[in-house]
Amino acid sequence: MRGAVLPISMVPGNSVVHKIAPLPKLLWAVGVLIISFSTRNPAILGAMIVLGLFLASISNIWSSFLKVMGILFPIMVIAIFLQSIAPAFPQPWTPIAQLGPFTIYQEGIYSGLTLFERTFSMTIFAMVFIMTTHPSDLFVSLEKIGMPYVINFILTVTLQLIPILQREFATVLSAQKSRGMKGTGFGAVLPSMVPVFVGAIERVQQMSISLESRAFGSTGKKTSYRNVVMGVKDYVIMVVGLLASAVTLYWILVDKSLDWSRTMHFSPTLSVILVITAALIFVTFIVISVSKIIKT
Amino acid sequence: MEEVLITCDNLSHVYSGGVVAVKEVNLKIRRGELIGIIGQNGSGKTTLVKHFNGLLKPTYGKVIIKGEETTNKRVQELSRSVGYVFQNPNHQLFAKTVTAELEFGPRNLGLSEEEVHERVEKAIEFFNLDTYRDQHPYRISFPLRKLVGMASIYTMRPDVFILDEPTTGQDNITTRIVYQLIRRLRDEGSTVICVAHDMILLAEVVERMIVMRDSVLIADTDPKTVFSDRKLMSSTHLYPPQITELSHRLKDKNFINTYALSIDEMQKVTDQQLQVKRSK
Repeated sequence: MRGAVLPISMVPGNSVVHKIAPLPKLLWAVGVLIISFSTRNPAILGAMIVLGLFLASISNIWSSFLKVMGILFPIMVIAIFLQSIAPAFPQPWTPIAQLGPFTIYQEGIYSGLTLFERTFSMTIFAMVFIMTTHPSDLFVSLEKIGMPYVINFILTVTLQLIPILQREFATVLSAQKSRGMKGTGFGAVLPSMVPVFVGAIERVQQMSISLESRAFGSTGKKTSYRNVVMGVKDYVIMVVGLLASAVTLYWILVDKSLDWSRTMHFSPTLSVILVITAALIFVTFIVISVSKIIKT
Repeated sequence: MEEVLITCDNLSHVYSGGVVAVKEVNLKIRRGELIGIIGQNGSGKTTLVKHFNGLLKPTYGKVIIKGEETTNKRVQELSRSVGYVFQNPNHQLFAKTVTAELEFGPRNLGLSEEEVHERVEKAIEFFNLDTYRDQHPYRISFPLRKLVGMASIYTMRPDVFILDEPTTGQDNITTRIVYQLIRRLRDEGSTVICVAHDMILLAEVVERMIVMRDSVLIADTDPKTVFSDRKLMSSTHLYPPQITELSHRLKDKNFINTYALSIDEMQKVTDQQLQVKRSK
């Protein structure tokens, strides 16, 4: 039975990116995360987006990747619209255009664009990482670098539980629809949520019993069925990632001229087009998803 | 001939991953029929029946329910004509009392309070749930919960009942009760479709059998023909009831001359055989 399961999971494959060990990839993803939070320079963020898209394209994950992006992109892009009319930026703001009741500010466009680029670059790297890494490999690697087993286990179980609960929710929803439940509104909350929660609690209870009966709390070194071997290539990638992140971070911290918020100017026409496009993408997305929900 | 309720016209269903789950199925289901659908896990049984109340829409071909194509119909509208009882009652039940649970369906249909009340009382009587009417559905035993699940559909008075594994996980007594209820539902003029692995249910209760294998409907006939066709049965990796298998082997050795689906039938066959022998 296939339900509305989110497509964020590993896409099996044999690409260069798939073959890299989990730790170097995780390091890259974290590096990008740190850098994108440290700078508002559109060029650096843009470069990371291009790099991320390049990695996505060589790892052959396009169809799943686009599915996820189809949901996340419209949500991220709305930052441009919201920021341009109310920038998260110290005053003074320079108004550059008027769009109906909204005033568009120069700083707003800059802030919105960079915020969008920031979330976009992080998401790309996170997606490439998740979609090319087998979850078990990741946890084996994390354990190797000293992550406590219990925490590791909680993470694994949580990750596994999400698709299970999603499937369960889809089943409950079809069971209640078969009883004539109206799919929307507050009236639908109880009939669809109670069975899912009761099921989840029962599942966890059963799981704790089966864990106990398989000696979960026992001491001693644990072994794993899967083994991750880090090759020379992986160490090289790791060191390169580490160096690149460190250098970029140092550059960002030292070079104050990277802040383009007062020097980068947008023409009013370009700003208006940007804002309208962002708003349109978001509205289309909302309309499509709402109509999909109503239809089912 | 009774009125046709469900028609599948060249129905195929392909899941989004490209998996063909049901392939070119043609089928007519009439009022008052008692149908069993069998097949291995993954043979497409569930996918097929999910088309009968609109939970799934055909990828190719069409499904017509009471003269109307399902493609643009919502499950909620179709639930008036076709009731689907899920295998696990826990997926269905959420209310605080059994009575409230039974009221949910007919309320959704927009019936008057009196009508709802009347239907709930009828269902409680039909399923013999009077002792449990004020209890919490999660507090009563699993077989009873299954009955509540069926009763919650019964109150919607559909023309067709789809029962997904109505007898799994239950002991002999409750299983017999379910058999009886299925027969009584039919006697009230409903069509009952059972998706099941319970061979006794299929051999002794069901009157028409639909066999699925690898997404294809390979047989649609009476249970006796299906169970006596050893080739068909083994090709689906299903075993007939033990008594049928025994009668097969006895027939191979010419002890008896026909197959039996139940112990009663077997007794009749052997009795006849004895009489023939004595009279010789």
